[in-house]
Amino acid sequence: MIDVKNVYKSFGKKEILKGISCSIEQGERVVIIGPSGSGKSTLLRCMNLLETPDKGEIWLDGSLITSADAALHKEFFVDGKLNKKQLKSFEREMSININLARQQMGMVFQHFNLFNNLTVMQNMTLAPVMLKVKTKAEAEERALELLDRIGLLDKKNEYPSKLSGGQKQRVAIIRALAMDPKVMLFDEPTSALDPEMVGEVLDLMKDLAKDGMTMVVVTHEMGFAREVADRVLFVNEGVIAEEAPPAEFFGNPQHPRLVQFLQKVL
Amino acid sequence: MSAAWDVFYRQMIPLEGYKKVLEGLGNTALIAIVGLLIGMVIGCLLATCKILPKSSFAVKLLSGFSDFYVAIFRGTPMVVQLLLIHFVLLPIMGVQIPIILEAILAFGLNSGAYVSEIMRGGILSVDIGQTEAGRALGLNYGQTMLRIVLPQAIKNVVPTLGNEFIALLKETSVVSFITVVDLTKAFQNIANSTYEYIIPYIVLALVYLVLVLAVTGVIKLIERRLRAGDRR
Repeated sequence: MIDVKNVYKSFGKKEILKGISCSIEQGERVVIIGPSGSGKSTLLRCMNLLETPDKGEIWLDGSLITSADAALHKEFFVDGKLNKKQLKSFEREMSININLARQQMGMVFQHFNLFNNLTVMQNMTLAPVMLKVKTKAEAEERALELLDRIGLLDKKNEYPSKLSGGQKQRVAIIRALAMDPKVMLFDEPTSALDPEMVGEVLDLMKDLAKDGMTMVVVTHEMGFAREVADRVLFVNEGVIAEEAPPAEFFGNPQHPRLVQFLQKVL
Repeated sequence: MSAAWDVFYRQMIPLEGYKKVLEGLGNTALIAIVGLLIGMVIGCLLATCKILPKSSFAVKLLSGFSDFYVAIFRGTPMVVQLLLIHFVLLPIMGVQIPIILEAILAFGLNSGAYVSEIMRGGILSVDIGQTEAGRALGLNYGQTMLRIVLPQAIKNVVPTLGNEFIALLKETSVVSFITVVDLTKAFQNIANSTYEYIIPYIVLALVYLVLVLAVTGVIKLIERRLRAGDRR
């Protein structure tokens, strides 16, 4: 479903991703863990191009969505010269593709990022209606159904500032679901929550997993990884240092850095 | 003092000075309000030019122009701009328009420079997470800007924009340099024709004060309505 091929990304002089590759299969639950600054969030954000890779390719459902290497493609050279016009139109098409690709990838952020100027209901219907994925009536019906599922039907006309952290994050999750995405990306969804509220968010995520949603989760919740993941990736210094099913990953870690990491967090 | 009052009263009511004052008040309000509206349009455009991701040459050019514009209009006094437009720019271009329009134009162009910086600050004050959430849902840059970022930015800049409007309102008192009769000029005429200066100028000051207080009240009202969804 998502293929990350040899992706590099630097911020200024600091190289965060150093040629990372991985692939996420349909219906798979992949949990990414790693020390802070290891590049796990950057990897996730590269998948839906919130960060543009400096080098490398991202494929979604068999189509290339990165254009970073476009200038290197042979077809844009005529007599050894870059055909800028053709490259421009290719890039324009790419940027439309990026928006289309993102519609299929739901993203949940550490800090929720609910739209503060809109009510819960408007948060959920804005994108589907604006992008003509659904009519207004359909979008509202779906929103109500999802709100009912998380038991927040009575909050539909509240602004985000009136919700607790856990409620905000659950609304953020169903806001992404309202676009009927093929895959959900979670960027440390419980890291900004009070301990009391972590449970309700994890429960909703487990629910999604049970429904067969393809999920990529960056988290520090080892319990969640153990229970829900099909595969756990350990990202260290910009590369995937180890990947294995949870039983093996936690039971018999190989990489010395992972052994050390698990000793500290478990 | 009561003699001075009588002179002022006679000039205002029986001699119909109040008509001139109302006309001046109208001009003052017109220049300030339309000037701010023009300023907001120009300011939003300039701010957008400066905030767009600088990927192409065209965007860099626009951003450079925006810097140039702000430097010119913020770097010279309002009165000088007014004089330049009235006595230099328009005559050279051979354009003739009513002087009230000249004043509105000058104030709009000038205000645009200040509003652009206010709007830029407002847009930057909106958490980047809001933009990211919009883009992650598949909205494009323009849609995210229009529906998510700008509404929050405008809410954040209402107090500062109010400040700009009040400053503009008071600064219109220089339009008499190009012979527009505004509030100040109307009272000046009354004072000059009676040789009684004390009362007309005190009343003039009070009228400005009342105007500004009224504007302050309206701004507060707008702010309260926009902050309906806020915690603060």
